[in-house]
Amino acid sequence: MSPDTILVDQLSKTYQVPEREGGFGAAVRSFFKRKYKDVKAVERVSFRIEPGEVVGFLGPNGAGKTTTLKMLSGLLHPTGGRASVLGFTPWERKPEYLRAMTLVMGQRNRLSWDIPAADSFLLNQAIYRIPDDEYKKTYKELNELLELEPLMKKPVRNLSLGERMKCEIAAGLLHRPKVLFLDEPTIGLDITGQARIREFLREYNRLTGATILLTSHYMADVTALCERVIIIDHGQLKYDGGLTDLSRKIAPFKLIGVMLADAATHDLSRYGTEVQNEEDTGKRYIQVRAEDVTRATSEMLSTLPIHDITIADPSIESVIEQAFNQ
Amino acid sequence: MHFLKLISTFFKVNVQMSLAYRADTVVNILLNLMWLGWELLGLNIIFSNTTSLGGWGIGELIALLGVFRLINTLMIALIWPNTQRFNESIRDGSLDYTLLQPAPSMFLVTFSRITVWRIWDLVLAVILIVVGINTAGDVATLPSILTFLLLTISGAVVIYSLWIVLIALTFWFTKFDNNVTILQALLDAGRYPVTVYPVWLRIIVTYIIPIAIATTIPLQALRGELPVERILLFVAVSIVSAWIASLVWKAGVKRYSGASS
Repeated sequence: MSPDTILVDQLSKTYQVPEREGGFGAAVRSFFKRKYKDVKAVERVSFRIEPGEVVGFLGPNGAGKTTTLKMLSGLLHPTGGRASVLGFTPWERKPEYLRAMTLVMGQRNRLSWDIPAADSFLLNQAIYRIPDDEYKKTYKELNELLELEPLMKKPVRNLSLGERMKCEIAAGLLHRPKVLFLDEPTIGLDITGQARIREFLREYNRLTGATILLTSHYMADVTALCERVIIIDHGQLKYDGGLTDLSRKIAPFKLIGVMLADAATHDLSRYGTEVQNEEDTGKRYIQVRAEDVTRATSEMLSTLPIHDITIADPSIESVIEQAFNQ
Repeated sequence: MHFLKLISTFFKVNVQMSLAYRADTVVNILLNLMWLGWELLGLNIIFSNTTSLGGWGIGELIALLGVFRLINTLMIALIWPNTQRFNESIRDGSLDYTLLQPAPSMFLVTFSRITVWRIWDLVLAVILIVVGINTAGDVATLPSILTFLLLTISGAVVIYSLWIVLIALTFWFTKFDNNVTILQALLDAGRYPVTVYPVWLRIIVTYIIPIAIATTIPLQALRGELPVERILLFVAVSIVSAWIASLVWKAGVKRYSGASS
């Protein structure tokens, strides 16, 4: 037995999507004879995740993140490859497996709109066969972390988006899953809302040792929670490793910011690529390869009328963006 | 036992849901009573002009109305709301959550919505059946009442299986919102004994789309008109249809996991 909680080996998923050109004639033709096009959503992706890890799963829209999460949670059958989570093959959807994992999708509702979350929770308790004392204990813990109590009695439709998300996540955790698949758990939330969910996930991971694989468009989620990231693009694995190594491997650059005495007249392109220009402060940023930083700065200092100069690592957002664009 | 507990939890949750819409519930109970009066009035009009309809007396017809309402309650209390919920859940993707719950998905899809105020319709249906049997007098004997109950249950199972097949088709066609309208239209044909219909229609509603199985046939059993082999045949039909429905459902879920994105 390997110690991995999640083992993904050459996992692939190809969809067949109906394809037709625009226009009335094409619509009529496709009614009788459909043409299909193969779309490779996930292509030979492999990775392993150890127990208790929190891994960020990143990629631009349509990269195959959700498809991968759906295969790992058992909703989709792959068209190729293998996966094992907690020793189970997810898409067999064995009840023991379903009771050991959870999938939370930020854009989908698990809770019924017309009734208070408390009632949906009871329904989940019944479906997952959670004994009363265990349910009470878990609820108490979740309540301490998420402050659910004031939200429980109101119909879900009367909750704010942030409040609803707290309840959605709690509903997905009542059965104490060992593996959490989170697809955009903070989507649409304001900054404090995002921070609260993030804080909760970190605490939850620390307390229960649960393994978490999460996707998010908010890099702050990733930098706050994950030491490791997996990046996919066009269905293929692009990067798998530490978040701190990412910038070194993918974007070995530094950002030099300069404030010039007579702004905007000087050409900075001979020192590096200009990436940003803060009009209000007059500060301009150029991107320079790490090994060229010393040379570039000394040249700039000797040739340009410099007021202020800073050297910094590029933000993780821009690094990841760069990784997608490669 | 676990499933009974689940159903009762679903029921409780649905009571709360319908209490959230108070006016709706009151109006529905009133409407329901009105419909019952209307149907009884219809029977009264028919029987003030004749003493039998398709060879059946008023007591048997009242009992038939009871059986019809029993099946109709199944339609309105379970099938309609759950179809609506199911179609929605395919569209908004919440079916994913249903499939990930550690309970049979067919069960969850069947019971997640219950129109609870309709439960009292069941009481009316039972009253109609009892009154009908009483009025029919010496027609009903203990064995005939028992076969009547058995065949009523098998009839309900057949209707239920038809429904499962119809909604499972959504897995293939994606958009199939009128799935249950067909079933309801056919069921309405079961309001009167199939013996009043022309032979071709009788054959269709008995064997091809077996609505009569759920209405007229149990009543024929009550009248002691059904030979044993026919009774066994109808019970067998209901078992086979439930089996086919579960196969179609499984294939549909599999198709969904293969094709959805």
